[in-house]
Amino acid sequence: MTTVSSTLGRIVDGRQRRKSRWLFVIAVLLVLAAAIFALTLVLGQSFTPPGDILRMLLGETVPGTSFTVGQLRLPRAVLAALAGLSFGMGGVAFQIMLRNPLASPDIIGISSGASAAAVFAIVVLSMNGPAVSVVAVVAGLGVALMVYGLSFRNGVAGTRLILVGIGVSAMLESFIAYILSQAPAWSLQEAMRWLTGSLNGAQLGQALPLLVALALFGGLLLHKARDLDALRLGDDMAAALGVRVGQPRVVVMIAAVGMIASATAATGPIAFVAFLSGPIAARIVGNSGSLLLPSALVGAVLVLAGDYAGQFLLPSRYPVGVVTGALGAPYLIFLIIRVNRSGGSL
Amino acid sequence: MTAHSLSVSRLSAGYSDADILQGLDLAVPPGRITVIVGANACGKSTLLRAMSRLLSPHKGEVLLDGKSIHRMAPKELARTLGLLPQSPIAPEGITVADLVGRGRHPHQGLFSRWTSQDDEAVADALTATRIVDLAERPVDELSGGQRQRVWIAMALAQQTDILLLDEPTTFLDISHQVEVLDLLTDLNHARGTTVVMVLHDLNLAARYADHLVAMTQGRIHVSGRPEEVLTQETVRQVFGLESRIVIDPTSGRPIMLPIGRHRMADNSQIKEMQP
Repeated sequence: MTTVSSTLGRIVDGRQRRKSRWLFVIAVLLVLAAAIFALTLVLGQSFTPPGDILRMLLGETVPGTSFTVGQLRLPRAVLAALAGLSFGMGGVAFQIMLRNPLASPDIIGISSGASAAAVFAIVVLSMNGPAVSVVAVVAGLGVALMVYGLSFRNGVAGTRLILVGIGVSAMLESFIAYILSQAPAWSLQEAMRWLTGSLNGAQLGQALPLLVALALFGGLLLHKARDLDALRLGDDMAAALGVRVGQPRVVVMIAAVGMIASATAATGPIAFVAFLSGPIAARIVGNSGSLLLPSALVGAVLVLAGDYAGQFLLPSRYPVGVVTGALGAPYLIFLIIRVNRSGGSL
Repeated sequence: MTAHSLSVSRLSAGYSDADILQGLDLAVPPGRITVIVGANACGKSTLLRAMSRLLSPHKGEVLLDGKSIHRMAPKELARTLGLLPQSPIAPEGITVADLVGRGRHPHQGLFSRWTSQDDEAVADALTATRIVDLAERPVDELSGGQRQRVWIAMALAQQTDILLLDEPTTFLDISHQVEVLDLLTDLNHARGTTVVMVLHDLNLAARYADHLVAMTQGRIHVSGRPEEVLTQETVRQVFGLESRIVIDPTSGRPIMLPIGRHRMADNSQIKEMQP
């Protein structure tokens, strides 16, 4: 009898320890994101006293601050945080669902689909503003559907989808290169933004649609978090646990693509954030509890920190996508080597 | 424990359009251990997949207490019928207790929190499979035999009255195979869990089965008590193999000794070798 109750005690302890670790990680990531967010507001080319920023945020007009912070730094930081959250959560949802860290949207062509459509819209159709974003989101969804359709044979296997995605992605990249080679100088600047991902020229107006997409699709993903968790044990096991395997897949797919494409529409495809966030989050959380929130926060930290570093910490100014790209490429190589050796999954 | 009835009636199923199972009938004896054997590609795994709803039948039905399982809510089914598939995946770095806890999924609603009942189910499952001491260890650090016990513990935490297992002893060495089968027999005796499993090893199947089912070409060739099923004739018809059947001095169950084309000894040689 004592052994049974002590076993129970150990189970409860262990579970609570895992839970508090998860909460602790969330708290640390939140604090970290908030700190970089604050840093972006306070310290740029010049220092702005936090008091001034607070007054401005409360609605006062503070000469100088209202422009540098209100017009430049605040929109930038808000957009960075929202895009980072979207990339992080959307990316990990894909990686979990297909049980492969390579299954991130920036590798299987969803980001390049959105970019290609945006570049086409800007250069060839002379579109601008929100219309471009809409085109990008629709194209992202379209490419996702196409990749899914092309890799469908008795259900979709992760590896097949990834290979098809990499092929589609390469095709889209060459399409982008072709369009750019034909582009007149005046639209080149705008089009370039869609290639690396940048927060230059961020406006607060862009934040609202992104926030709506994040709330809607993010909510949908969190709602499916438990099913997603079960899917990590394999489709058969998940089905044995009472998960409808087909249905959550479709919902997760749509929600994740929606998030990624909306973020891409706002900032361009910030390289590798969707790809890196999940595995980093898994490392820190130690793989218990849902990865969706930790990964979203890691994404926000990556974009905020990457953008700040690109602006102020490096010898010359780089768009955020260049910084995250430099981080992500070595990891991609590492991962391909490791997956080759062990066939590891997320 | 209420004994649930599980049966298959005129079931045709398979992948794409091809029927691997062809109008198969099977009644699983409640509270007993049923073992399915057969040659490669005879449809054993397909049958198990159809019985656990991983596969939709083209024709016929799988009935749980008289109701078609394909018309039941997935979670409702998962509270009565559990399945351990052939190759489940353990997420990297997950601990044993955490993984076993995943078995509680069908008992948890959308917003319901983890309850003390869930903790008890996990503790119970770890105790029954004797892996309490491994509870906080990462699953990927365990040996194959330990890992298989973890998966069985997970299926136990699901607390189903019926448990289906697809080749639970594959990749295990002989001592771990026996250990897993002993464990499943313990569960069957202690809790009355109905066990249905696919096994490759005919002798282990005959030893542990209450009810032995031999399949060939998508149909049930013969089923019944191991003594009735494991005969020279069955082995010839199901596996295309000549064999001799002897009685296991330990269990009194039949043992199949294959006769190949080589290494034949005459009686005098065998007598010399007797200890």
